[in-house]
Amino acid sequence: MKKSITTKEFQVPSVLSEVQKTSERVLSFLKPLVLNEAFLFDIRLCLEEALINAMKYGNQLKKELAVRLKVEYDEDEIRIRVEDQGDGFKPKELQRCTEGDNLLKNSGRGVYLIHQLMDKVVYSPKGNSLLMIKFLKNASSASN
Amino acid sequence: MNVKSFEQDGVAVFHVNGEINISTSPELRKLFEKEQKKKIVIDFEKVTYIDSSGLATLVEVLKRAKTQGGSLGLATMSDKVKSLFEITKLDKLFSIFQNQNDAVNAVK
Repeated sequence: MKKSITTKEFQVPSVLSEVQKTSERVLSFLKPLVLNEAFLFDIRLCLEEALINAMKYGNQLKKELAVRLKVEYDEDEIRIRVEDQGDGFKPKELQRCTEGDNLLKNSGRGVYLIHQLMDKVVYSPKGNSLLMIKFLKNASSASN
Repeated sequence: MNVKSFEQDGVAVFHVNGEINISTSPELRKLFEKEQKKKIVIDFEKVTYIDSSGLATLVEVLKRAKTQGGSLGLATMSDKVKSLFEITKLDKLFSIFQNQNDAVNAVK
């Protein structure tokens, strides 16, 4: 049987003040799913980390360059795609923030958190688009 | 985000209320850069959200404290906030306590 998919797309200017406004809009869009607080926290954090990276590193914080955001869900999962207009990111080149002296460094935790909190993370071949997937089992606030 | 500070047993205690995120972490960083006391406790009871920039700011505060021969304790984290420290292995770097008094007693 075909799944019912609900989708919303956003074009977000690369201005950091738009990050929280956007995540509020996304969480509002996800309201029908009645998600528990811990799940919403993870979604919000991963979304904001991805948006910040897209704006800062992809679009160089140029206001005129938008980050394309697509959020969709069905009965099984939430999918969030974040795409910037940059040259792409090579995830393998990112040093693991939990190893040795990297613990004391200022960067790298955002991507690491996305990988730890999301169930699947897929980069486009170019590296300027990130798909994050979170499964909906145990996500309902009714299961608290 | 707002921050209340006071002294307890010679330790500077900071109660942070709200979110430590990309917008608020620069303000928090400046606050700690001005702090003269070397023994610091940050109470997280009313911290509702923290992102990677917030974690980075706290690492900077810790590095500064250590460079100056001081100490830093973090107290009263929610399970969610604490889990982020655990996921990023920052719980191995920071001294994290269940409550403010334990943190002050350890740091002083």
